[in-house]
Amino acid sequence: MSALQKSLHPDEKYKAGKLGHSLQRIGLGIAAVFLVISLVLGATHGDHWKRFLYSYVVAWSYIFSICVGVFWLVLLHHLVRGRWATVVRRIAEAMSMAFPIVFVAGLGFIIPLVAGYQDLYYWAHPDAHDPEINHTLVHKLGWLSPGFFAFRYVVYGALYTAMATYFIRKSREQDGNGDPKISEKLRIASAPAMIVYALITCFAAFDILMSMAPKWYSTIYGVSFWGSACVGGFAALALMVLGIQRTGRLTHSINSEHYHDIGKWMFAFTFFWAYTAFSQFMLQWYGNLPEETVWYKYRLFGDWQWVSIAILVGFFAFPFVFLMSRWTKRIVPSLVFFAVWQLVFHWLDLYWNVMPSYDWQTTFHGAAQIVTGPLTGNTAYHHVGFSPVDITVWISMIGVLLAGFGRNLHGNLIPVKDPTLGLSLAHENL
Amino acid sequence: MTDDHTHDPADHGAGYGQEAGPLYGVLAEYDTPGELLEAARKVRDAGYTEFDCYSPFPVHGLDEAMGIKRTILPILIFVGGFTGTCGGLLLQWWCNAYNWPWNISGKPAWSIPANVPIAFESTILIAVFTSFFGMWILNKLPQAWHPFFRNERFNHVTDDAFLLGIEARDQRFDAEVTPKLLEAAGAIGVEKVHLDPDPASRHMPKWITAFIVASTAFALIPFAIAAKARTSHSTEPHLHIFPDMDFQPKYKSDQPMDLFGDGRSNRGELVGTVARGSLNADDVFYRGLEHSEAGEQWTTGFPRQLEINEQLVKRGKNRFEIYCAPCHGYDGRGMGAVPQRVAATGGVWLARNLVDVSNPVSITMPNGQLFNTISNGYNTMMGYAAQLSHADRWAIVLYVRALQRSQNASLDDVPPDHRSGMQMPEAPTR
Repeated sequence: MSALQKSLHPDEKYKAGKLGHSLQRIGLGIAAVFLVISLVLGATHGDHWKRFLYSYVVAWSYIFSICVGVFWLVLLHHLVRGRWATVVRRIAEAMSMAFPIVFVAGLGFIIPLVAGYQDLYYWAHPDAHDPEINHTLVHKLGWLSPGFFAFRYVVYGALYTAMATYFIRKSREQDGNGDPKISEKLRIASAPAMIVYALITCFAAFDILMSMAPKWYSTIYGVSFWGSACVGGFAALALMVLGIQRTGRLTHSINSEHYHDIGKWMFAFTFFWAYTAFSQFMLQWYGNLPEETVWYKYRLFGDWQWVSIAILVGFFAFPFVFLMSRWTKRIVPSLVFFAVWQLVFHWLDLYWNVMPSYDWQTTFHGAAQIVTGPLTGNTAYHHVGFSPVDITVWISMIGVLLAGFGRNLHGNLIPVKDPTLGLSLAHENL
Repeated sequence: MTDDHTHDPADHGAGYGQEAGPLYGVLAEYDTPGELLEAARKVRDAGYTEFDCYSPFPVHGLDEAMGIKRTILPILIFVGGFTGTCGGLLLQWWCNAYNWPWNISGKPAWSIPANVPIAFESTILIAVFTSFFGMWILNKLPQAWHPFFRNERFNHVTDDAFLLGIEARDQRFDAEVTPKLLEAAGAIGVEKVHLDPDPASRHMPKWITAFIVASTAFALIPFAIAAKARTSHSTEPHLHIFPDMDFQPKYKSDQPMDLFGDGRSNRGELVGTVARGSLNADDVFYRGLEHSEAGEQWTTGFPRQLEINEQLVKRGKNRFEIYCAPCHGYDGRGMGAVPQRVAATGGVWLARNLVDVSNPVSITMPNGQLFNTISNGYNTMMGYAAQLSHADRWAIVLYVRALQRSQNASLDDVPPDHRSGMQMPEAPTR
């Protein structure tokens, strides 16, 4: 307690053993079962897979964003020479290694798009090329074309995977030789990696989520997505660490001090997300330009307004007020409650971002009105229309994510020879 | 620091001075923060309360080791932040919605989203003030002098010394036992610290008090002057702080000047000359005048240079809505934003109803006279010759004609195939 440094507890179980394998099996099992259910539901939805693919994009963005959030901790920890997180860093590194599987899973909507499916992204629809009804959109179609879009998708996947692989591989190398210079190398690598990470995260959000409403635009969109992603990432990390501790591993090394810090990040990003999301809303609301406000018009009236209110209260106000206190982050059951809570609302946030485009296109059968659409009065088309396939695809994707987490969860669960490990083990919050 | 007093707590209380006054307390130095923590715990367990630890940096766990209760500062900050939120909202409500409601482009005087940024900033401001000043007050800062300063060891407390001092006023303090306790806890040096023998020197020097009082009084002078100015009148001219900027060696328009025969600084057009390109001989186009047998009169047509088409009407609409609509209104009925705003504050601002059939001054006015009014103004209306080209003024005349027609149209004016479902609205009245 009194020392600033501590060494690993002699009885500590820090080897993963078969943990990763079982997680992979469970994950793939969930993914397969729910994918089958989703395929059945999607095929019988009667809209030629459209609902299925929309749900797929929401669910895929969800697991993608969680990897984005967790990987950020790895980069930041190296960049600022962090100490507290060394004990959970290997877990975060292993979780980031879900990127390749996540990006393979994403081919589920990329391949139909490239193969000529028109109803997922409006910009892939022939109507988008009509300058009579889309005189601004036609100028974006060079960027938003299925081929180039898929190419960028592959680039994002390759870069995320390469970065995550580099960081975990070097870290494992240090487990073997204990070379402190590796920490220095990773610190130097983390700076350019952070820049690349920031850019591809923003562009991925622009491409995959923002282009759902291709005529609408918001430059802060990527940042806001990232804020939401980090809430999900830290929530997932807290649950993962707890899950590993439940198996009897790492019980001496990780304590409420570390949970407290994970909780602090979750709190910070809850506010950060709200800050950026409100910045985006307020500027467009105040600017009152039809091509911008139409995005919010659709979400703030009719049924969607209740979803908006639920997100405001559930994803921001309630966790903000309660996570502010010290005890809610230090008492593990309370932190777990908020982690699960935020993981649900993070999904709802993505759902809220994507799904109105589905309704919009359904109502107007994907024609001119999508873009020019009635801006006033008519609220008949503002219905949410939850579908069971939304949930089943989501669970299936969570299975994919768990399998991704398990894939690299082998060997040491702690960077045993990291020079900062002693400080991390003795970490205390003031 | 070489130390030979370890076994015999020497009475070095004199410090910088030689004489020793009453005993203030005992100061012990420890080698590491860890040992300081241990010592603090022992001193606390021995029942001492009037003691403190001194270190160059925050030592984790020290508060707990010393038995200090958790600070109430977070609660104060929360209260401060909440006060800031409410205060920010109240301020905006009072200013914008209650005390001085102001019509800005028809936006509501009170609207929550618009108030969020200010409420957010005031939350941060008050929370941070509470945090900063609360910390000072709770720590009894600023403290300019402390009796331990008299001990030489204390000089190192901002570099590398970890000190623990027990004050003699503690109920358990014993000049013999207490030093031994500190020594047993692993001190590398224990010393008694005495107060200055001269009681007068234990207080803040009088000149410092005098300086603080004097400078505070001095700082109040500008406020006193401002307060006096608010309640008094003066016939004196302004104070000129930068006379060379206030009085520049140049002439402004309509100032007298001896150099020219007419005594004016303005150099007007020379009689009998016209500037190049400014002949403007066409009276119809440039002045709206026609010459006939009967003499000079306002033209009722349009200049032959202008092609009367839809494009010109649109140009006229565009100019009208920029330059005319603020007073005359978009519909020409004389209730633009300016008259509305003045009316809201109890004043009167008259702008001509351009389309009123019951008082058809503007309707019956010849085109040329309308053009002349736009060019040169009428009553309190300024001329717009400086802002609008001649062609644009004619375009406005054309648009005003279209407006007069459309605002007083009947169903017969609508082409038959557009009539279905149309109703004539009640004409708005002033």
